[in-house]
Amino acid sequence: MRSFFVPTRINWLHRANPAVKLPLFILLFGVTVLTHRIDASFYLACVFLALLFLASGYPLWKTALLASGFALAFASASLTMILFGKGSEVWWSLGPISISKESFYRGLHLGFRSIAFGCQGLLFVLTTSSTGLFYALMQRLKLSPKYAYSFMASLRLMPMALDELRIRRDALSVRGAGKGASASLLRLPELYALPLLAQSIRRAQRTAVAMEVKRFDAGRRRTYYYSSPITRNDGAAVLVLSGAAGAALLLAHLLPLFALGDMRMNP
Amino acid sequence: MRSTVEANVPVPVLKDAVKPGQPADKEPAETQDRIGPSREEAETAEYAAEVRNLRMKFPGTPDLLFRDLSLNIRRGEKVLLLGPSGCGKSTLLQVLGGVIPQVTEVPLKAERLHVPDSAGLVFQDPDTQFCMPYADEELAFVLENLAVPAEDMRPRIGQALREVGLDLPDPHVPIGSLSQGMKQRLALASVLLLEPDVLLLDEPSALLDPEGRRTIWDAVRRVAGERTVIIVEHRIEEVLDWVDRVVLFRDDGSILADGQAAEVFARCRARMREYGIWHPEAWSEAYGEPAGEAALAQPAAYRAGGVCEPEEAAAPAAGPARERSAAAPARPAADSAAARPLLRLENFRVLRGGKSVCAVRSAAVLPGDLIALTGPNGAGKSSLLLGLMGLLAHEGSCEYAGSRPSGRRAMREAAAKHAAFVFQNPEFQFVTNRVLDEVAFTLRSEAASALNASQSGAFARWFPRRRLRPDAGEEALIATQASACLARFGLGGYAERHPYLLSLGQKRRLSVASAIVSDKPLVLLDEPTFGQDARNAFAILDLCERLRASGHAVLMITHEMEIAERLATQVWKIEDGALISAESTGRSHTAGLRLSKEEPL
Repeated sequence: MRSFFVPTRINWLHRANPAVKLPLFILLFGVTVLTHRIDASFYLACVFLALLFLASGYPLWKTALLASGFALAFASASLTMILFGKGSEVWWSLGPISISKESFYRGLHLGFRSIAFGCQGLLFVLTTSSTGLFYALMQRLKLSPKYAYSFMASLRLMPMALDELRIRRDALSVRGAGKGASASLLRLPELYALPLLAQSIRRAQRTAVAMEVKRFDAGRRRTYYYSSPITRNDGAAVLVLSGAAGAALLLAHLLPLFALGDMRMNP
Repeated sequence: MRSTVEANVPVPVLKDAVKPGQPADKEPAETQDRIGPSREEAETAEYAAEVRNLRMKFPGTPDLLFRDLSLNIRRGEKVLLLGPSGCGKSTLLQVLGGVIPQVTEVPLKAERLHVPDSAGLVFQDPDTQFCMPYADEELAFVLENLAVPAEDMRPRIGQALREVGLDLPDPHVPIGSLSQGMKQRLALASVLLLEPDVLLLDEPSALLDPEGRRTIWDAVRRVAGERTVIIVEHRIEEVLDWVDRVVLFRDDGSILADGQAAEVFARCRARMREYGIWHPEAWSEAYGEPAGEAALAQPAAYRAGGVCEPEEAAAPAAGPARERSAAAPARPAADSAAARPLLRLENFRVLRGGKSVCAVRSAAVLPGDLIALTGPNGAGKSSLLLGLMGLLAHEGSCEYAGSRPSGRRAMREAAAKHAAFVFQNPEFQFVTNRVLDEVAFTLRSEAASALNASQSGAFARWFPRRRLRPDAGEEALIATQASACLARFGLGGYAERHPYLLSLGQKRRLSVASAIVSDKPLVLLDEPTFGQDARNAFAILDLCERLRASGHAVLMITHEMEIAERLATQVWKIEDGALISAESTGRSHTAGLRLSKEEPL
């Protein structure tokens, strides 16, 4: 499981400073959310999907596997709007379902935006390690080490909790609990929460003590094992990512496929 | 009485609390309470750590933990603290390490409390001492805390790893990929980076297999040098010849004996046995020499300690194995069907994610077998047990007492009928809020499933009219059966308690009790003695031996070679996902059973 998320190629985007990347991606999210033309959202989706495959550093099949979830996001975001949205130019209707020109294009627009959004998020997650992110945030953006290290410690505890969930499930099935009548459905949280929480709280407490025994003190000056410099890679990341977004918007202007107006108005 | 207590004492409740970490001074009696002498003064002191008249109280408990405890530890001394579980040794170690009350706030009071400025503490659980995902990052975390410049970190990390004998070609390895023993050495390396004067070890080898135990103690010896070392440990064979001094505590936290190891041993042998300390002769005292079955008596010494005074009424035999099976062939399986295996495996493979994780060419479990399942961690021992219970998919044939279930669901049902499973962590097995219900639950669900089995057909399965429940008479029977079982396991007085509030050993016994109360012929246990003190471990083994002698079969995963040598009838070795050998030991399961057949003649 752990080895699944190790990139096979390390490129400029991996090496870029997460403290630069994070605001940059937040900016991209903003651009995507504020796009109201279907041509722009279509090109944004295309460009970032291409970038995801080119720059994530993962083999094609892994990226495709992860990106396949976007098909679902696309379908769920667009179908509801297509089938139930309002519009004046009705193409087809049956009972409550009515597909109009407006609802159809609004649905597609929503779908494109969710793909663009998903690609951007995945691109950030796949090219940034949690350790690197927190080190950068501590050194560049003055995040308190208290939060950074507790996040990193809790990430370490997560797989253990998952293992225990599995063990608990097995144990319950061996004892014949948690199956059958519907009353046991109500007992499920109790059956799982008590032992798992008891164990996790104990473990977290022990980890906290162990950290303090190693003289962790959030208030004191500390040095950092990984430095978090600003390099040429950051310049490349800023140029490529903002260039990608710019290119999408430019293409929408020069080569409009749908040539429709603002989706919030009547397109 | 004390005048110069610091204002920001982090300890609530007790008003003359000391803030440790401030080295106490060495002045005459009238001023000795003053806190905050110069560092140099403390360093010239003869003692590395000193407590005088220590009293502590955990919130919510009625009693004081220590009643005026005084203990001095000289510089460079290697001290072993021993005592029964729950006597406060670990707490004392945390006081000496400055964890209490600086990190964990516990009200305490002491006339004098001098703890070392730099102490390194290694804990019991290898999984909860790290906060970073990679070994080098974890060590770097310590150096970051000390504000060591980044460029000095790599050499120091490499050096610390070499010191503890953890030669990683590249220290940037995920901690999760290390074995438990390696993790403990990594923990030791990380406290070494603090350059401590005093090393404090809180049962560092309790959760390790024999190999891990050996390597961690080797590492401790290597790095100890001139340092003061204070050890709390239940397993003492590895450290005994090395420590200068042994301090033995009583149940209530007072000191029973304090002196050289040999001397303390000679004087307090019986007490140490009673306290469940794993001393080198523990096994031979309990079971005699591993010569053969003649030497196999009950672990009388440990039963006499009053741990598990089980089943005088329930199992008709309390004597050695021979008499027992001779006197009462408790179940039909014991005589007529002795040759018929409870479990037979042919080309059996357990699959996890479609891949074979444990393969068994051919094996059989007969009534009266006690099988020790051994092998390195990750070899597939646990997977085999899960596969046998139908919790993992399998291929090949697995026959439970003649019936051959096909498919996972059928397997699970067959396993539920014939086998009881005891998990390693007892808490995960508890499903109710009362100790008595915990045992009754098994009986109840068995009664219910027997009733529901009469409801058959597809319609009834999808639309059961009502879930059938045992009636009142049966309910009463279940209650009596359950309390009898609790009494057998020495849990009679705890019937109303929440299972989580039991002690470690009691939890373990309860989990075994609730698994075997319905009298399944095969009992599977996942490392039942792991991390237990000797008293609890022998109580569990005693129980397994009784089960075996009364015609059950016991299959247990264990790292304890002594179990394999002294108690097992077969030893199954599992390596790299396959059963590589299944050898009978000197004790044969047929021996006892054959006798029971011959006896009538």
